[in-house]
Amino acid sequence: MRRALDTLYVGAGVLSGLFLVGIAVTIIAQVVGRMAGFTIDSTETAGFCLAASTFLGLAYTLRRGGHIRVTLAIRHAGPTVRKVIEGWCLLVAAGGMAYFLYWSVDLVWFSWRFDEVSPGLMAIPFWIPRLAMAVGALILLIALLDDFVGLWLQDEPSYEANAERILPTEDEVGPSPVTLAKDAEAGAR
Amino acid sequence: MTDPGTVAVILFLVMTLLLASGIWVAVSLLSVGFVALFFFSPAPAGSLLASTVWDASWNWALTALPLFIWMGEILFRTRLSENMFRGLSPVVGRLPGGLLHVNILGCGVMAAVAGSSAVTCATVGRMSVPELKRRGYDERLTIGTLAGSGTLGLLIPPSIMLIVYGVIAQVSISRLFIAGVLPGIMLILLFMAYVAVRAWMDPKVAPPFTERLDLREKILRALNLIPVLLLIALVIGFIYGGLATPTEAATMGVVGALILAASSGSLTWASFTDALMGAVRTSTMIAFILAGAAFLSIAMGFTGVPRVIAAEVDSWSLSPYQLLVVLTLLYILLGCFLDGVSMMVLTASVVLPMVDAAGIDLLWFGIYTVIVVEMAQITPPVGFNLFVLQSLTGRDILRITAASAPFFFLMLLGIVIIVAVPGIVLWPVELMVSR
Repeated sequence: MRRALDTLYVGAGVLSGLFLVGIAVTIIAQVVGRMAGFTIDSTETAGFCLAASTFLGLAYTLRRGGHIRVTLAIRHAGPTVRKVIEGWCLLVAAGGMAYFLYWSVDLVWFSWRFDEVSPGLMAIPFWIPRLAMAVGALILLIALLDDFVGLWLQDEPSYEANAERILPTEDEVGPSPVTLAKDAEAGAR
Repeated sequence: MTDPGTVAVILFLVMTLLLASGIWVAVSLLSVGFVALFFFSPAPAGSLLASTVWDASWNWALTALPLFIWMGEILFRTRLSENMFRGLSPVVGRLPGGLLHVNILGCGVMAAVAGSSAVTCATVGRMSVPELKRRGYDERLTIGTLAGSGTLGLLIPPSIMLIVYGVIAQVSISRLFIAGVLPGIMLILLFMAYVAVRAWMDPKVAPPFTERLDLREKILRALNLIPVLLLIALVIGFIYGGLATPTEAATMGVVGALILAASSGSLTWASFTDALMGAVRTSTMIAFILAGAAFLSIAMGFTGVPRVIAAEVDSWSLSPYQLLVVLTLLYILLGCFLDGVSMMVLTASVVLPMVDAAGIDLLWFGIYTVIVVEMAQITPPVGFNLFVLQSLTGRDILRITAASAPFFFLMLLGIVIIVAVPGIVLWPVELMVSR
């Protein structure tokens, strides 16, 4: 189960990366096409790749601690309070995502039912790129619930454990000038 | 219908609660937007949510964003950060404040490439924070210079903010680009002067630059920077010359960065995928927040809160200078809740006619607005640069805000200067037009 879920997040993240490359590829196709004298309109395809990349990357970015939040209260809370606050964050986010997922699916269904197509040259049926939004929201919802369950089984949610930091995190409260010596100490710990 | 003043207070409290308890910024923005629509407007919250988030997510102008981030990630994994330091450090190292100036100039250069303040801040920060840290520089000044100079990305062309303003105020975008150049340079000089004064008063904040180099070595080191500067110049040149859209220029930037990485021998499969996945994380995070902000803007529009605030200001009938003071306060206040684009878009319909009627040049006002929006980027609770620096450094938001405060006031000084000498904005444009 753990492996299957992690594969899901990373797999969606890799797809997100491929769609990011896709933006560049459609643009290169457009430029090459222009030089060769035929028209490729990549305005829409690039936009669709962008949207797909964003939504498919949501869960992966969450797991890696990439989404930004104000951690002031959480950092300064004791372990129990901290767990409660994390639980609240995850529940609010999961609730919001469930609502967003419902309406994304509604939007996909609507665009499929009424054959909505994009206004550009390619006239792509809108339900295809919008499906990426719904799928991405679904995977993010799964990841949030996963972390909510995990909150009771382990000490730290994934997004805190996996976050990348350049400076060492401070444990103490209040501003203190961080010196090289202290870093060396932190490194030695 | 609840009175918009009350709604404003309620939404402010909800936003504060959500953000303060640690809920992700994008989710908070979406949630407050939902509360605004669901409880204080007759509009259908759910379907508006899905359609607004969708519309904000496949925006053509936004496609340049992940590409510029990717380009930065690739360059970051070459020896750029080291080369930037080796190349720029002999040039600025002797100035009081030493390598902190590399932060400011690096942001100036990167801002010109990225056109987005959060990206500039993230890209330069990723390169310079570890380097300055290693050399024992004052952390507050390291963070402050990044937060402040990162906002230069809004002003120095190709600026997304200037494009948005040009569209809503119907001012020529190329004229706005040219008008933004001198104020951008002025802000860089103000920041550098501040760092120099701080270092002169307290030499501990910036360790002395000890490396002694002969001229030949200096030139050799500076030569290391040339390929990157050339790439940047190429990207900007193509946009200026109208030869490429920002997205096309960004694509060239990615290809160029890959070629540079390959030729310097630092391009491996591992570094390629690292860069790509790094770009995924940053661009997903920013795009998600922008989508949340877009939804919040729409929701706020339905509640009428921003319009009521602007109308209130209008009813005070002020002189142009008083008007600018009030607008500055208003934008700083709004900037506490809204991102810059939303602020501009929401207030434009009221503020622009007001400003025009007061006899203020709309081109000048565009630059003024962008500098005020820059300031808003480093005011909590919604300051994108603060968030970026938070994720980069792992420091809490209060500390980062405190470190950024001096740069906030320097930008305020910048505004006073362009009010006193509007020519800084307008002269280059007049020169251009007379030809």
